[in-house]
Order: sequence, then structure tokens, then C-alpha cells
Amino acid sequence: MRFILRRLGFYLVAFWLSITLNFLLPRLMPGDPVSRMLSRSQGQLDPSQIESLRQLLGVDDRPWWQQYPEYLWRVLTGDLGISISRFPTPVAEVISSQLPWTLLLGFVSLIIAVVIGNLLGILAAWRRGSFLDSFVPPFLIFLGSFPYFWLAMGLLYVFGITLGWAPLSHAYSVGLQPSFSFEFIADVAAHLVLPALSIVLVSIGGWMLAMRNTMIATNSEDYILMAEAKGLRPSRIMFAYSARNAMLPAVTNVGMSIGFIVGGALLTEVVFAYPGVGYQLMAAVQGLDYPLMQGMFLTITGAVLLANFLIDIIYVRLDPRVRAH
Amino acid sequence: MISNRNRVRRFAGSLLAAAAATALLLSGCSADTTGDPGASGALLTVPREDMGTFNRNFNPFSPNAAPMTQQAVYESMLVYNPADGSTTPWLAESWESSEDGKTVTFHLRDGVTWSDGEPFTAQDVATTFALQQKIVEGSFPYVEKVAAADETTVVFSLSEPFSPGLYEIGQQVIVPDHVWADQESPDTFENKEPVGTGPYTEVTNFQTQSFDLLPNPHYWQKDKQKLPGVRMLAFAGNDGANLAAINGDVDWAPQFMPDIETTFVDRDPEHRHYWFPPTGSMVNWQLNTTTEMFKDPEVRKALSLAIDREQVVEVGMSGYTEAADCTGLSGSYSAWKDESLIGACEWIGYDPDKAGEMLDAAGYELGTDGTRTTPEGEPFAFDISVGSTSTDWLSVANIISQNLADIGVTATVDAPDWAAVTAGYEQGDFDTGIVWSDNAPTPYQYYRSLMSSETLKPVGEQTFSNYHRFSEPKADELLDQFSASSDEATQHDIVDQLQELYLEAAPVVPLFPGPEWGAYTDVRFTGWPTEDDPYATLSTRSPTTVLVLTSLEPAA
Repeated sequence: MRFILRRLGFYLVAFWLSITLNFLLPRLMPGDPVSRMLSRSQGQLDPSQIESLRQLLGVDDRPWWQQYPEYLWRVLTGDLGISISRFPTPVAEVISSQLPWTLLLGFVSLIIAVVIGNLLGILAAWRRGSFLDSFVPPFLIFLGSFPYFWLAMGLLYVFGITLGWAPLSHAYSVGLQPSFSFEFIADVAAHLVLPALSIVLVSIGGWMLAMRNTMIATNSEDYILMAEAKGLRPSRIMFAYSARNAMLPAVTNVGMSIGFIVGGALLTEVVFAYPGVGYQLMAAVQGLDYPLMQGMFLTITGAVLLANFLIDIIYVRLDPRVRAH
Repeated sequence: MISNRNRVRRFAGSLLAAAAATALLLSGCSADTTGDPGASGALLTVPREDMGTFNRNFNPFSPNAAPMTQQAVYESMLVYNPADGSTTPWLAESWESSEDGKTVTFHLRDGVTWSDGEPFTAQDVATTFALQQKIVEGSFPYVEKVAAADETTVVFSLSEPFSPGLYEIGQQVIVPDHVWADQESPDTFENKEPVGTGPYTEVTNFQTQSFDLLPNPHYWQKDKQKLPGVRMLAFAGNDGANLAAINGDVDWAPQFMPDIETTFVDRDPEHRHYWFPPTGSMVNWQLNTTTEMFKDPEVRKALSLAIDREQVVEVGMSGYTEAADCTGLSGSYSAWKDESLIGACEWIGYDPDKAGEMLDAAGYELGTDGTRTTPEGEPFAFDISVGSTSTDWLSVANIISQNLADIGVTATVDAPDWAAVTAGYEQGDFDTGIVWSDNAPTPYQYYRSLMSSETLKPVGEQTFSNYHRFSEPKADELLDQFSASSDEATQHDIVDQLQELYLEAAPVVPLFPGPEWGAYTDVRFTGWPTEDDPYATLSTRSPTTVLVLTSLEPAA
């Protein structure tokens, strides 16, 4: 219990630090939202209206030390304000309309990559020198080091345009009504295949290699030799003895990855026009939309910290050594 | 003890269940729309390349309203078309200015109704302007009072004669008094079910990445409302939107497409076409006239002569536009160009030898090492600023830099983020830079931002036009005369003088008029504007878009 409380205290400090950074960093960027809007409209907006647009959009010109306490209060009360680049839509609405899609894409691809990557890693370490061990990891690392954009475009070109097997863009077919029907869920799944595949292909090599390497280390432990000497089934030794002990770093990585899912997969979303938060975040940064930026960074920070906290707790269950400290 | 295998399986299973739950949650979120689009044929499908997702905001006063709010839902009193310089009466049938120019009267069309069946009246116009001035203070600063004289007559009282205001007033989209007058906070009103006079007003099937606009049941031009509806699609960037166009998923492609002939047209040359009229704003290379080296107009003219605009346009802009002619006016001002000046200019052209001579004469002499020095003995070197994301303008800047190197001038391309570039422009903290210019129905705003002392701010003070910080007393005089005159012949005469003044003073170095992107396929719909029939541009965000929407019809 003391361990958990201590961790909790640490997370509170980390949270305060990160929301303060969220506040400061956007304000260090040059320009303000309205002049960005003006430069993007390239002569379409009347310069004489700048001042009033500033007022309309609620651009805050006060010094930072006046804005900061108010910002902290609003964060604590959950009031994220109104987006500037999406004025007058509230920030919470902008984020909540896109976050579910980001979570869907992120979780599906993470789970696939983790499960397949780790299984491949376990098998590769178990059968050292086999085809799976010597050829698959380099191939997957090779795939993973492709420029991401290029790989996604390539997939889209081959499977979407040339073969026509998968839809080209969006999260579900245009004109379809979201519902609980099988038709709609199948459509969402079909639209998910290529974006998820592109993320899985890039990330799976890392999972496999990491698992393989820790597994090789555990395989040389005395208790494995002991288990073999006792005549246990090889599959039992592989999963329950070797893989279980090799899994700890993988659990940490999963926790980290879960946190970062919330930030969205910018390039995937751009290539496949997937309605996630990644593109919105980029647009918010480019348009200096402080409220939206703060809202999104806050969501990401919260998710990363929460995921880490959960992993900390799971660690206590998985690894008795942590409890001893 | 549970075996590890089972535990892993259980863990994965629960995650999968969570993912499935998310999917269900998603589908539950927004299942409140009804409607059966496409029942009467295919909708006109239009991509929007700079919005990854849509928000249901049809407030025309919002700078970020959903696409087509100002084009298909709401309409203005008149429509100005920069492609052919014509003005189409729209919600107003006619208008006139008083002798002293201080009163403008619009006569509204009879028999126009809002999409909810209410009649359109002069009060709607008066309310709209009151709202616009309340929401964005400082808009229409010259409009003192808007009064509905009777059901179909609106009288605008101006604080001073201001003829360019006619188009600004005329192109303001009008909202219904009976919906908006009682809005407590019209600035944050999202207007989810808009009531407009436009051809396609019925918002249906609104999703995160698409929505449909079905025909207005009470439209005043029934015979021109031939589309089953308009469908907007959201794309996070040009690539996705281009792919949809190439694949034939959309009918209209108003975004930039590289190598359009091969990627788009060649896949179906019979039906696919594009037209990029040079009606965007003039793209200039601006020289900061507060710096010592660019104070001398002869130096600015010499540098202009060193630029190979043909190369700039062919290589930098993929041949999608044309080089600036000698008036420095974009194609949207064709009607205003002084024909006698077009063939006879001294410094908007390509003549590196003459450029060198002029620089020699101005004191920027060529040293033995092949580079020039300023009269003070410093190297003649400066930066060209441009935003890194504008890859086309970036390559334009690189060509200019090479051209200048040929005559011994060292120009370094400086390409940070646009935000940093514009911050420098606004504060006057830059050497030179590639920049857009003002583009309005009359050249008044264009010249005002280039040469007027009203827009001139000292270095260090933020400004949003006249970044190059130049003013000319003669220009102030001519601009005042222009805004005070409502006689077209007089106005043309003044603009001729402004063109001469521009050529004499060289406030900026014009490069090329910005092209207005636009491509389409006539497989499903016909009646598009073309170079031979320029009744509108192919833009989906300009006032002329409504002209296209009321001209298209399903292909036979």
C-alpha cells in the first residue's frame, strides 16, 4: 500500500509538471492564432478585422502569470474551453468525436502487434537457429525501418487501388448510418484493416526482437534446465517457465504504448483519412489553437500517466521483487 | 495455479473485448441522424482536403463554419466572378449609389423564401449586418446604418463615400431575422439545422467525416436546382483527397494535385478536366523597404529583372500559372489592366545583363570574386524567407536565389515554419520573402496594402498588410479618389494611374498570379465552368461556388 501511495504522489507531481509544460510550450511559439488564420487565408481575410476576431475567438492577451492560475483551475474542473480553430465547438466535443476512433485503431493494432510479435519472439528463442529465428527478425526490422508514409502509401496503392480489396479512406463507408448492425461493424472492420496492418507491420519487429532477446537470457537459467530434467512438456516449459519470466519488459512496453495511443497515429490518419486525433493535434499546433492543444496534451498526459500507474500495479502482481523494495 | 498460456489468453481476450466495446460505443454515439440520401440518384461529391473531420457548425459568421455554409446554405445579394469580371445579381435584383456616394440602396428579389417557408425580406438583410457588426467589431467600418425601407428595399448609409464597399456589402451572406434576431450569443451559436435561402440547405446524415446537403424545398430558382444533393467528404491533407479524385470517388477536386495530367486526367481523358485560372492573389517577392539596400527603387527593379519568371512558373509552379505581366495585377483584375502598359514595361521581365548594369549604376558593383558589394563595402547578401510547408513556393525561392547568384547577388533561402515567417513579416523583421497579396473584387484593397500610408506601420509594430512597409503620398491621393467615386470610367482612369505609379515605385517584385485549383469529372454531372465558359471558377469556397451549384445537372 505504501508503495502505491508513493507512486501516486510521484504521479501527482509529474501531472503538475506536464500540465505546466502544456501551458508554457504553446505560448513560446511565435505568432498568435488569428495571425496564423490570416496567413493561411492568404489575402482572403480583411486585416482590419483582426482585433475583433481576436476578441471573438477569445484569444487571451494577458500576461502568462494571470492566465496560469485560471488555466490550472479550469484543468482541475475539467473545463477545456472552446476551440479556436474549430470555433465555436467546445474542445471536449472536438476531442470526444475523434478519440474513440484513435483508441479503436490504436488498440487493435497494438494488440495484434503485441500478441503476434511476442509469440514469434518466444518461438524464435525456443528454436534457436531455425528459419523463424534467423530470417524473420531481420525481415521484420527491415520492414519496420521503411519510411512510414511510404509503407502506408504502398499498402494503399497495392491493396486499395490496384487490387481493390480494401477501402481507400475513412473509418466507414460514406452514407452508412452508425448502428449496432452487423453490416456497420463489418464495414468498420474492413476500413480498419489497412491502417492497422500498416502500424502492425512497422511495430511488430520490435516486439519480436525484444521478446526473443530476453527469452534467450531466461532460457539459460538453471530453473529451465531443472524443468527439463523433471521431464515437463516442452510447451509448458516454454510458456509457463521461460516466457513468463521474459515477459516483464514487454509488459512495461505495452504500458508505454497504451499511453501513446491517445496521441493518435498522425501519418496513418493522414494517409488513410482516418478520423483520429493525430491530424487534429497537428492542425491545432499549426493554427496555434491553445485551448485545443492544451486539451489534447492533457488527454495524452493523463493517458500516459494512467497507463504507467496501471502497469506499476500489475508489476506488483507479476514480479514479487518490486514489492520487497 | 492457472497456466501462463491461459493467463495470456485471458489478458488478450479482455483487451479484445474492450476494443469491441469501443467499437460499439462509437456506433452508438452518433446514430441520431435520419434520412435516405441518394434515393433520387448520386449526390455531387466534393472533398475538403484541410479538415480531417467535420463539426456540425453552420454558423456563417464563424470563421470555421462547416464547408458549403456560405456557398450552398446561405446566399448573398450579388455574386462577383473574378474569372470574367462579371457581377450577377442574386438575392438583390439591382442596386444604386446616391450622387454623394453616401447611400447605397439594394432592391431585393421578390418571391424568395427561406428553407422553412418564411418569406425573405429587407429586415433579414438589416439584421444580418447588425449581427455581423456586433460579432466581429470593425467589420464594415464605413457602414453607419442599415435600414429596411420597405419589404424589398434596403438602404445602407455610409459614413463616407466608399465605392469598393459595394462588393463587400453585396457579397455578405444573409441570415434569416426570424432565426437569428433572438439568438442570445450568435457568435457561439452552432446552428445545427440551418435555415437559408441557398439551393442545398437540408443537412442530413451528418457524420465525423461526411455530411449531405439535400435540396432546399422552397428554393427560389427551382429550375436551377437539379442536383439530388451535395455530399462533403473530409480528408486530412491533399494526398487523401487526391487519391479519392484519382479513384473517381469524388466529382469535384478543388485541391492542388501534382502532375495533374498524368495522375488524374490520363485515367479518363474524355471525362476528366482541370482548369486553373490565374485569379488567385498576386504572389510577390517582397523586399523590406526599411532596410538600406532595398530603399532604392532602382535596386528593386534591377533584382526584378534578374528573375527568370518563365522558369519560376514552369519549374517552381509546375506550369500551373503564368508569369506576372507588366501591370503587376493578378488575373482577377483583367478588366482593370491598362492594355498600353502590358507590352511596355521596364522592370518586370528577364534581362540579367540590364539588371547587372542597373546594380552597377546604383553602386552595388561586381567585385573580382564575382560577388557584389553594397556602396558601404558590405557583401550584397540577404535571406529569402518562405514557409517550409509550401513546397512550390520554396522551389520558387530557390530559383530566384540561383538567378540572383548569376548576377553576383547572394540570396540565401530561409525556410522555417510559416508561423515564424509570418511573425517576421508582421514585425518587419525580415530581408525579403515570398508573400501573397490582397485579392478583392476591385483593385482598391490590393493597392492599398501595397502603397498606402494608412497600412504602413513602423518596424517592430505588428501589421497584417504592407509587410514590405512602403508608402507613397500620390497613392494615398489616388486611393481616396477611387473610394469616393462610384463612376466606373473614373475608377478605371484612377486604376490606370495607380498602375503607372506602381511601375515607377516598384513597391514589390511581382512573380505570378496564384492559380485557383479546380478539377472535375463529368461522368455523373455536367455543366462545369471551363476556360471557354468562365461563368465561375472551380473553387468550392468562393462566392462563385453557388453559380456552379445552380448550373450543374446530372449527366444524361
